[in-house]
Amino acid sequence: MLKIEHLKKQYSNFSLDCSLEVQEGCITGLIGQNGAGKSTTFKAVLGLISADGGNITILGKDLRNFTPKDRENLGVVLSDSGFSGYLTIRDIIPVLKNLYKSFDHSFFIEQTQRFQLPTDKKIKGFSTGMKAKLKVLTAISHNAKLLILDEPTAGLDVIARDELLEMLREFMEKGENHSILISSHISSDLETLCDDIYMIHNGKVILHEDTDVLLSDYALLKVDEEQFCKMEKAFILRSKKETYGYSCLTNQKQYYRENHPKMAIEKGSIDAVITMMIRGQE
Amino acid sequence: MMKGLLIKDFKLMKGQINFFFIIIAISVGIAAFSDDSSFMIGFLPFVLSLFTLSTISYDEFDNGNAFLFTLPVSRTNYTIEKYCLALLLGGGAWVLAVISAVVFCIAKKTGSVSDVGMTAVSILPTLIVIQAVMIPFQLKFGGEKGRIALIGTLGLLFVVGMVIGKAAQILGIDIADMIDNFPVVSMGVMVTALVAAAAILLLVSMKISITIMKNKEF
Repeated sequence: MLKIEHLKKQYSNFSLDCSLEVQEGCITGLIGQNGAGKSTTFKAVLGLISADGGNITILGKDLRNFTPKDRENLGVVLSDSGFSGYLTIRDIIPVLKNLYKSFDHSFFIEQTQRFQLPTDKKIKGFSTGMKAKLKVLTAISHNAKLLILDEPTAGLDVIARDELLEMLREFMEKGENHSILISSHISSDLETLCDDIYMIHNGKVILHEDTDVLLSDYALLKVDEEQFCKMEKAFILRSKKETYGYSCLTNQKQYYRENHPKMAIEKGSIDAVITMMIRGQE
Repeated sequence: MMKGLLIKDFKLMKGQINFFFIIIAISVGIAAFSDDSSFMIGFLPFVLSLFTLSTISYDEFDNGNAFLFTLPVSRTNYTIEKYCLALLLGGGAWVLAVISAVVFCIAKKTGSVSDVGMTAVSILPTLIVIQAVMIPFQLKFGGEKGRIALIGTLGLLFVVGMVIGKAAQILGIDIADMIDNFPVVSMGVMVTALVAAAAILLLVSMKISITIMKNKEF
């Protein structure tokens, strides 16, 4: 659905070199700190900024040959942009109808009622949650094949986030070939939603793993100095000095569980993995 | 595609509908209480076509352009739509103003209808040139900086004009005399030529605007 190969973008104090792939029927997450390069990657994929190098293939086409008409197959949420706040939902319906051939009017209306989005109020007066839901709703209402969602859950409370993720799951159920690329800095959103996850740091992908593997095989080992000296380090990805000794990130939880039964092993979470990948030493 | 964008812009302008009516009321008021019914022909199309610039500002506000260009809209479409909007607004207001001016002229029996017609036609090139200059500035620099850049450019043109005038004076060329000695052409031919020149300028301006938009990053 989407393949990015060594996408490069150079700013004065930041350089991006990102490769990733979104498979058909999959939800791929992109996680990283603020300023890690998530939005830059999204904007380059969408042609909003020019790339300095690399290749992007989107829905089987080179990005350079991707026409505005092809964009009807994309649903996009940007974290810092949307329809003008001076418009109302009633205003944007005819706009969407005329921009997208397959705009599903009745679905759109149905969903605005479901999420109690006011149709005659200016969008600028919406709460953060309502704005976010409207953005996602706009993205999923025209039978898109690929959703590109940059921080769709930013600033939302738990309930609103849950409703939003539910919308995305429903979108995936609607078509076998549907795919999503989603970024977030809230890892729990991605843990429950994504098939695979890319971690990006300082403009580079530092880890790519299936979510299942990440949650089942990755673990945090908490060891004292003595244990640390003796233990097998071939399966340690990162380690970090702590007050009690060392914490180590491994992607072979089973190995340590079998060979070091006394070792304190903490189940991997995306937060733990990303913290170790960024702060720990190789 | 274009239709979707036009709808968006009209919906945006709906928020300024009161301002819209005030301008029309002022024009009608002036036409009704003065003998100068041609005033509104200059005033109304000019002011109403400025709404195009305000829709560009609305689009830019809160980085809205970024989202706009993720929709099935090319940057060329977007630019052409703005020129269409300017022509629709300016042209529509021009027609409205001309009709009203003619009505006032006949009702109040001040001046001749052919004079109104003359004013109407001769205002067209100016109206087109103003659009041709302002839209690229607005697209390139945005609302605030656009105004400053526009004033700067007008100032620069003024200075250039002065320098040419001075240079001509030093070289002993009388510009007023040159204009007086222009081959005499009928007013009709003159206006047609001016409108054609303005239209060409508008096309050039559109080309420049498309390039400006294509080079923008959001």
